[in-house]
Amino acid sequence: MTVVANEAVRGKRVDGWRWAGRVFLALITLFAVIPMIWMLLTSIKTQFAALQYPPQWWPDNPTLDQYTALLDPSSDVGRVFLGYLWNSVWICVVTTILSVAVAVPAAYAFSRFRFPGRAWLFYAVLLRNMFPAVVFLMPLFILMRYLHLVNTGWSLVLTYLTFGLPLSIWLLKGFYDNIPVQLEQAARIDGATRFKAFVLIIMPLSSPGIIATAIYSFIIAWNEYVYAATFLNDEDKLTLPVGLQHFFTEYTTNWPGLMAASFIMSVPVVAMFLILQKYFVKALTEGAVKS
Amino acid sequence: MAEVRLDDVVKNYGDIYAVDHVSLTVNDGEFVALVGPSGCGKTTTLNLVAGLIPISGGDILIGNRVVNDLDPKDRDIAMVFQNYALYPNKTVYKNLAFPLKMRKLPNADIDRKVQEAAKVLDITHLLERRPRELSGGQQQRVALGRALVRDPQVFLMDEPLSNLDAKLRAQMRTELKRFQQDLKATVIYVTHDQLEAVTMADKMAVMSGGVLQQYDAPSVVFEKPATVFVAGFVGSPAMSLVPLNLSTRGTDVYVVHKDGWELKLSPENAQRAMKAKGGKVVLGARHSTIGLSKEAVPGSVAGRVYTTEPTGDITYAHVHLGDAVVTVSVEPQVRIAPDEPVWLTFDQTKLHLFDGETQKTLA
Repeated sequence: MTVVANEAVRGKRVDGWRWAGRVFLALITLFAVIPMIWMLLTSIKTQFAALQYPPQWWPDNPTLDQYTALLDPSSDVGRVFLGYLWNSVWICVVTTILSVAVAVPAAYAFSRFRFPGRAWLFYAVLLRNMFPAVVFLMPLFILMRYLHLVNTGWSLVLTYLTFGLPLSIWLLKGFYDNIPVQLEQAARIDGATRFKAFVLIIMPLSSPGIIATAIYSFIIAWNEYVYAATFLNDEDKLTLPVGLQHFFTEYTTNWPGLMAASFIMSVPVVAMFLILQKYFVKALTEGAVKS
Repeated sequence: MAEVRLDDVVKNYGDIYAVDHVSLTVNDGEFVALVGPSGCGKTTTLNLVAGLIPISGGDILIGNRVVNDLDPKDRDIAMVFQNYALYPNKTVYKNLAFPLKMRKLPNADIDRKVQEAAKVLDITHLLERRPRELSGGQQQRVALGRALVRDPQVFLMDEPLSNLDAKLRAQMRTELKRFQQDLKATVIYVTHDQLEAVTMADKMAVMSGGVLQQYDAPSVVFEKPATVFVAGFVGSPAMSLVPLNLSTRGTDVYVVHKDGWELKLSPENAQRAMKAKGGKVVLGARHSTIGLSKEAVPGSVAGRVYTTEPTGDITYAHVHLGDAVVTVSVEPQVRIAPDEPVWLTFDQTKLHLFDGETQKTLA
């Protein structure tokens, strides 16, 4: 009320602030978008054009050669690149599935059940996030060696789980806290078991949270470099971030190739956001979790 | 429909007793209200009957079957929640069908029963809507419908009307009562509103601090409250309750207030009062049993008007007797002003006397 009144009184100043805000947003957008545009432009240049100075703002001879080479399984470049892509995809998908599979029941338990050590455990979950990731590099490496997982994708799956789970659990617990407990009580009285009540009533209501958790876990795994560079040795086991760096900078940097590969790498993340965020926003605005 | 019996039921969290050895029987087809202030254990009791929380001691029987360890789904009950607990992602139709679906009824039967319930509750036109598109009253009907569709043994209701506005609440009160009578349903109804309990229930169970204070027909609870708590809780405005000391002079018995005023008890009341153990009683009187006059009359107690509440057809006057406040009702044409000296006479045949220590009624 008071805010509205103040805005009405000081209408001019509010307009000034609003314009300042717009300018700020425009600058932020440029800051975020320009590197991407440059990446796209470079990816359709020839190696020669990419290195020219002053730069060609728009390539004289745009070409999709890099893309066709990268995506052609019969070419050398394509075989290696698609290998990296596959490694990244399965590691990230498995990480995401496991992350949701663990975070959902864990968050539900933290939200609904009172058990000994609950508060302690809940904060212990955060312990990992109190330290920089690099601190755990050596301990985790030694651990993985004991588990005979070094130089396998599974070492990364386990590692990425420890990165993503704390926040996922906290985020989902917030969702479950907001779903009235009476809903599942009603379901249990209506004839559902506790598990069925959870699956049929609570899960659909927490889908925005689950989707957010999934996106978060996927992106963490998709972009991770340091652990992937440390745990994996074999060329054919590398994930995209490490693989690209190795492959395109082996002798001289193939800028258009690197940019094309980077663009392809960013496609899944952007696509996921566009598809799932729509659902995410829809789920929220439908008031599914309104108490 | 079935009878529900609570036999020495206990629910404790360590040393805290949310439900403290409660025993009561709800007969088949009876409407019983559990009433009490928040935190008195009424909702916990209901949740124990529903099986939503585990019981600590005693037995709960539904239709002569001990259900202590049964899941809610196996108790054959239906429940209406205060916030209705409608499934937000399902249409009204699917909300109503859910309990039937869970019991694996054939689709044709489900459809027939849902349509029937919708017709009875006049919500047929809402079947394809989602709960958030409904008004509070409509949501309330859907919640009731979801309970009705599957002829349970017992209906449990947890403050189902308290989220409605006053007018709708009064309307739903009569409708709910009518449904219960038509279905001859066994209903356990939790409310903090003693008016709801008095107007709807066949019997009311008044709870306080986890303890069942009194379980009887509303008229009995109103006329013969068993404890000071019940006396103060049931009835609006509340019964005036004044702690007093006993004093005997010859054969006469007086109750004396610490601020000096006193009242001579009738022989019958004197006999009751003398049963109080520590020489202390609590005197209770409803507003309608106290007379107010502007001059001293024999046997009256002098006081001072604190404030008046005209309601139209009756005016309530709150009168200070020392530091005790007593509520009196007077005809609306009687003009009294704050701070005016008045004299109160108590109708001794309708006086309530409670033991000052045990807080229980003296019979």
